[in-house]
Amino acid sequence: MDEELDIETLDPRKDVRGAAEVKELLRASGLDAEADIQVFVVARNRRGIVACAGLAEDVVKCVTIAAEYRGSSLALRLMNEIHYLAMMRGQSHLFLYTKPGNATLFEGCGFHKLVEVLGHACLMENTPVGIRDYCDSLNAFRQPGQRIGCVVLNANPFTLGHLYLVRQALRQCDWLHVFVVSEDASAISYADRLDLVRAGLAGTERVTVHGGSRYLISKATFPSYFIKDACVVEACSTAIDLLIFRRYIAPALGITHRFIGSEPFCRLTRKYNEDMFEWLENASEEGQPVHVVEIPRFEVAGCPVSASEVRRLLARGDFVTMASLVPPTTLACLRAKYAFRTQPQADYCATEIIEVK
Amino acid sequence: MKKLRRSMLFIPGSNAAMLSTAFVYRPDSIMFDLEDAVALREKDSARLLVFHTLQLTAYHGIETVVRINPLDTPYGLKDLEAAVRGGVEIVRLPKTDCAEDIHKLEREVDRIERECGREHGSTRLMAAIESASGVVNAVAIATASPRMDSIALAGFDYVVDMQTQRGDGTELFYARCAILHAARAAKIDAFDVVFSDVNDDEGFLKEANFAKRLGFNGKSLINPRQIELLHQAYAPTEQELRKAERIVNAAEEAERQGLGVVSLNGKMVDAPVVLNAQRILALAKPAFVQA
Amino acid sequence: MEIKKEAICGTLESNDLLVKVAPRNGLEVTISSEVMRQFGARIREVVEETLKQMGVSQGQFVIEDKGALDCAIRARVQAAVLRGCDSEELNWRGL
Repeated sequence: MDEELDIETLDPRKDVRGAAEVKELLRASGLDAEADIQVFVVARNRRGIVACAGLAEDVVKCVTIAAEYRGSSLALRLMNEIHYLAMMRGQSHLFLYTKPGNATLFEGCGFHKLVEVLGHACLMENTPVGIRDYCDSLNAFRQPGQRIGCVVLNANPFTLGHLYLVRQALRQCDWLHVFVVSEDASAISYADRLDLVRAGLAGTERVTVHGGSRYLISKATFPSYFIKDACVVEACSTAIDLLIFRRYIAPALGITHRFIGSEPFCRLTRKYNEDMFEWLENASEEGQPVHVVEIPRFEVAGCPVSASEVRRLLARGDFVTMASLVPPTTLACLRAKYAFRTQPQADYCATEIIEVK
Repeated sequence: MKKLRRSMLFIPGSNAAMLSTAFVYRPDSIMFDLEDAVALREKDSARLLVFHTLQLTAYHGIETVVRINPLDTPYGLKDLEAAVRGGVEIVRLPKTDCAEDIHKLEREVDRIERECGREHGSTRLMAAIESASGVVNAVAIATASPRMDSIALAGFDYVVDMQTQRGDGTELFYARCAILHAARAAKIDAFDVVFSDVNDDEGFLKEANFAKRLGFNGKSLINPRQIELLHQAYAPTEQELRKAERIVNAAEEAERQGLGVVSLNGKMVDAPVVLNAQRILALAKPAFVQA
Repeated sequence: MEIKKEAICGTLESNDLLVKVAPRNGLEVTISSEVMRQFGARIREVVEETLKQMGVSQGQFVIEDKGALDCAIRARVQAAVLRGCDSEELNWRGL
């Protein structure tokens, strides 16, 4: 049966007809063709497309095989092509979401389980040593102490609110690890956000600033975070990210406490915070619990400081008002590099999630 | 007694599973393909797979052939190194158009045998003819080198060159005859084209029988299922077998008695007839002929 | 031989293996196999022997084995190394 099949790649943005065929195939399996998929690997027989697997940067999704070909080696051929395609695109490290029932199939295709939200979803990666290597690299930054804290910031850009959160957290722990979300999907570039965090915390003791990773609030672990106007939040969209944190990242650094700023505005952020209590503190989950500490937002002139407000001021070119909300280093950077933006490129509601607004 | 070469099974050199198991089908010879069956990005890896597979003991009892890429591609020469050093018996050169193609190949084979310490002349050559030029030059090709083992007709590319299509065999008639004659004149073997419809047993048998009647030593196959069919097509009938047995017995009897002439039923039996009878007996008992 | 870039070789199909190689200080070979218990040690042996013969002492090798014979393991590892070194020069004696 395999003899008749051709395996090809398909660009859904250029091949309109092919994209429609793929969409139909996915629909028949109860899946939606996701808009961010850049390329599909498809298997075609004489009649049309019978299997597909989509790639959105380093995330494999929308994988389906027509019923009559299931159980054959088509899945292997399809996923093989995904591995090669990804390597050619410079994405050798891949992630894949699937229903737990399909995990075994993908294990036979060179994928390995990272975490599973029982009954809901499973995140896999295409190497047995991805998370292990990452944790090994984090190990080098372990610090002694009873209470080791963690804060995850998008810092879009770094504000006095972030500074306040860090300082408040430091009062409650022996050492604080600050991670900056590395997904480059915000108005301010990742490189600049990281620089601003470092600059803003320069001279602050007992702090380590870490660049982000694919394993912490990325399109791989937490895709909903990056979807504009994400109003519908699935049951487990936050769980995967939090479970990875609890089972792998926290133990690698000995983290006992995670600090978050209170979230008065964004629904998704609020849900993420609530979920943190469930997934990080719950004793019945695998892995040492991590205590979650919510810190009220820093206020200036009676208003909680918000990065989105800073971006609005940036859009208006109002650096005078901005100066009261951000440290001088942030102000200088925005003036120098972002002053001519009349509209921020991406202003996701969700990016406020862990920032102090 | 000449080796039986009825079935030459094509195996894609990039398919690890088939390379590991093809010997179980017991074709008369196995051709590891590094050319058309292997995608460009796999050429380097397939070459190494074939190099190592050639050295498996399982293949030491079966005649091995490697189809290399043409020497004017970036792959051909490297394929040749892998094949010769790996111990292949026969190298199949695709798209052989003229004697010079064989000469070029031979020079490289000479060099590689020397470099790797392989017995000079142990690597034989098979020319695949896939064009009008090749057909027209068949005699020169067949006699181009003492290493020449056989010529094969490659149907698909040939009909494209001839600006026609595969059909009932009319389109191949002249090519088949020309190649057969060239092979026989040069005292080497000739192989017929691949039959690509693996589900059409009847069509396959028809073509196989035709090739056999014309005198081809065997046929290229792309599916193990075709091996048994082909061996059946080449098997002698009961009548042919009886007759052949009688002739061979008569020949043996004559030798025992020290007679210079073999006779059967009062008629003289020529040497070629005895040879042919021996060949027929061999076709009926392949188990004894395989090394 | 020095691994200069990431490379991939082989397939996930039966009797084959997928080899991924990346530059790394020191040598690390990670093997996953459906027949790990029975053949894991043998696979590792063949891989390490092949790397040694090629003079490879650095690199991260991740291998997904699907029941490959020794000859396939050797071939795929050799091809992966050559792809990772961006080289097509084969030292036949080393094989």
